[in-house]
Amino acid sequence: MGPVPSWMSYLVTNMSTINFAAREINFKIVYYGPGMSGKTTNLRWVFQQVPQNRKGELVSLATEDERTLFFDFLPVDLGEVKGFKTRFHLYTVPGQVFYNASRKLILRGVDGLVFVADSAPNRLRANAESMRNLRENLAEYGIRAEDIPIVLQANKRDTLDALPLEMIQAVIDPEQRLPIFEAVATNGAGVFETLKAVSRQVLSRVAAAS
Amino acid sequence: MVEPAIALFGGAFEKASRVLEELLRESGARYALLLDRKGFVLVHREALWAPRPPALDSLATLVAGNAAATQALAKMLGEPRFNELLHQGSTHGMYAEEVGDLALLVVIFDNSAPVGRIKLFGKRAVQSLEVITRDSVVNPGTLEIDSEYRDGASALLDELFGN
Ligand SMILES: Nc1nc2c(ncn2[C@@H]2O[C@H](COP(=O)(O)OP(=O)(O)OP(=O)(O)O)[C@@H](O)[C@H]2O)c(=O)[nH]1
Ligand SMILES: [Mg+2]
Repeated sequence: MGPVPSWMSYLVTNMSTINFAAREINFKIVYYGPGMSGKTTNLRWVFQQVPQNRKGELVSLATEDERTLFFDFLPVDLGEVKGFKTRFHLYTVPGQVFYNASRKLILRGVDGLVFVADSAPNRLRANAESMRNLRENLAEYGIRAEDIPIVLQANKRDTLDALPLEMIQAVIDPEQRLPIFEAVATNGAGVFETLKAVSRQVLSRVAAAS
Repeated sequence: MVEPAIALFGGAFEKASRVLEELLRESGARYALLLDRKGFVLVHREALWAPRPPALDSLATLVAGNAAATQALAKMLGEPRFNELLHQGSTHGMYAEEVGDLALLVVIFDNSAPVGRIKLFGKRAVQSLEVITRDSVVNPGTLEIDSEYRDGASALLDELFGN
């Protein structure tokens, strides 16, 4: 391997390490929300659908019963824009209440958030508590929820007793400030719409800061 | 808030690469990586004799998560920080050390390489890398991201994720 030209930096693909294309930009997007709301299912869908050469491995740190223990991680390559290799790192947090210490760690350096709410009536309160927990954890990094792109997803719309969207919004975003998407993550409905929306916001925000 | 990031361009990237290469040569390790704390690979070098490495972006994410968890534990126990992370299996080991506040050095080695050497040269590399990374901290505002970039990226989003 010869010396690396100065215009080159570093690039990894899922199969191998290809040295060393141009400047790259990485964004970190975190899926947040109560336990069992479907965060991991969102990531699995993205993993299944994105072509092989545009994604890395899906890493899941989970318990035996498939509950997220620390995080899931999936890198997605968007491609090259204006000489910048652009990549999204997607993470999920563990939603279960008692994993808060690890949940907090995953938020470090977050550029955008997807809040996956569960549409089931008996999870309404869990949605509200998870949103409050998100605000508290962001505050520990000195971030106000208002200052970071957040997109809401009402998941499990396929269930018979799914609550009306407004009821879910009323507890997680009473001022209806945030975009909300309906989803059935198990069959992919709404998954890409949500991810595109948060990605666009992240990109706009960085562009605006320049 | 977008955190300040380390951007290694041209000279800094080459300097960091040379530090990692020297570390590999002197310690006999397989792979050496410089990561940021978010788990992104900044620079990576492998020994010529080493087999193809595992998926490095996954590895980087796990090491960064591991380091973050370890430091959180340290704080809970009233320590400002724990020193380096060292893991050893029957044939391989991994050594990770903080590089300032924003980066991490990771060294993967075979057990034929003495751990003492790995640590010694690892710590030496950290000193050089600290200087290089400190000089490479940028605020996102100074990256050349503009609306043209955003629109280009946005078009790629549609291409990858459908309309
Ligand atoms: N009916 C239905 N079930 C879903 C949907 N999305 C996810 N599930 C199911 O809900 C369960 C939990 O999904 P996960 O994706 O593991 O939930 P999670 O949010 O990652 O949970 P934690 O890791 O504990 O935080 C699984 O059995 C999924 O198959 C959906 O849209 N509809
Ligand atoms: Mg999960």
